[in-house]
Amino acid sequence: MTAATNKQLMQDLLGRAAAGDRAPYLAAIADDVTMTVTGQYSWAQTFRGKAALLRDLYGHLATLLAEGRRTIPLRFIAENDVVVVEGKGEMRTKAGATYDNDYCLIYRLREGRIVEIREYCDSALTERVLGPFPAERKQPA
Amino acid sequence: MSGAEIMSNAESRAVENETVENKRIIQQVFDALAEGRTQAMLDHLAEDISFVVMGTGSWSRSYDGKAAVLAELFAPLRAKLAGQIILAPLRLIAEGDHVVVQAKGRNMTVDGKAYGNTYCNVIRLEGGLIREWIEYCDTLLIETTLGPPPAARAR
Repeated sequence: MTAATNKQLMQDLLGRAAAGDRAPYLAAIADDVTMTVTGQYSWAQTFRGKAALLRDLYGHLATLLAEGRRTIPLRFIAENDVVVVEGKGEMRTKAGATYDNDYCLIYRLREGRIVEIREYCDSALTERVLGPFPAERKQPA
Repeated sequence: MSGAEIMSNAESRAVENETVENKRIIQQVFDALAEGRTQAMLDHLAEDISFVVMGTGSWSRSYDGKAAVLAELFAPLRAKLAGQIILAPLRLIAEGDHVVVQAKGRNMTVDGKAYGNTYCNVIRLEGGLIREWIEYCDTLLIETTLGPPPAARAR
């Protein structure tokens, strides 16, 4: 697939997710995906495999955040199999706190499936609003 | 082939050439930064650059204009770090007037702490110069290792 095709795919998936339909995005994640939350804070680690990603990262976020959370994609930059997405979160915690993080997400695709995700965000905001990542969900190094 | 298609192909080639040239410039800038040399970067900052440190940390804001970037961001940063500032590129992704650089810092503070932040820089060029630089990094690491910039502390 070309850069333009991959970019169009991510625009479609993230546009639909921002509108409330996350199913196509989740379906496009490959079983052998690796997702790395970059940095040195408590959330920073690599989730290996879709099951671990959904259970330990997305699962934990679902316990903290109110329904209706979304990330608005602002800009897409694509080259070959990589698509960079800048986005702005629009979320609230279940306790009522605003959590609007700034994201730069780097996706690598293979035949229309997401095989690698790297997330850069405001870690100070994450720790301050969401607290530390729980030890029982931490991934092996 | 219609006239519109010919124009479209010509425009497409121009965009491809721009992408290749922009990526070459930014690769050159970061290859130098990986060795602690800053001149190539400084030479490519437009006078009206906007440099944005994303997030809610004490260094997070838009630094507008080359003079502000040098005086309010780079100078206080230099005062916090020992020796040359090292920023090594890991991957470049380019399209049109944008080049994205994933990079890793390898630095020490003046009081002897390791400072190895992880960066994603979204850079927009115009006419071979950097007009916009958006830096995503581990903002908590900045707070815990560097602390606030001097101006923020004084406020």
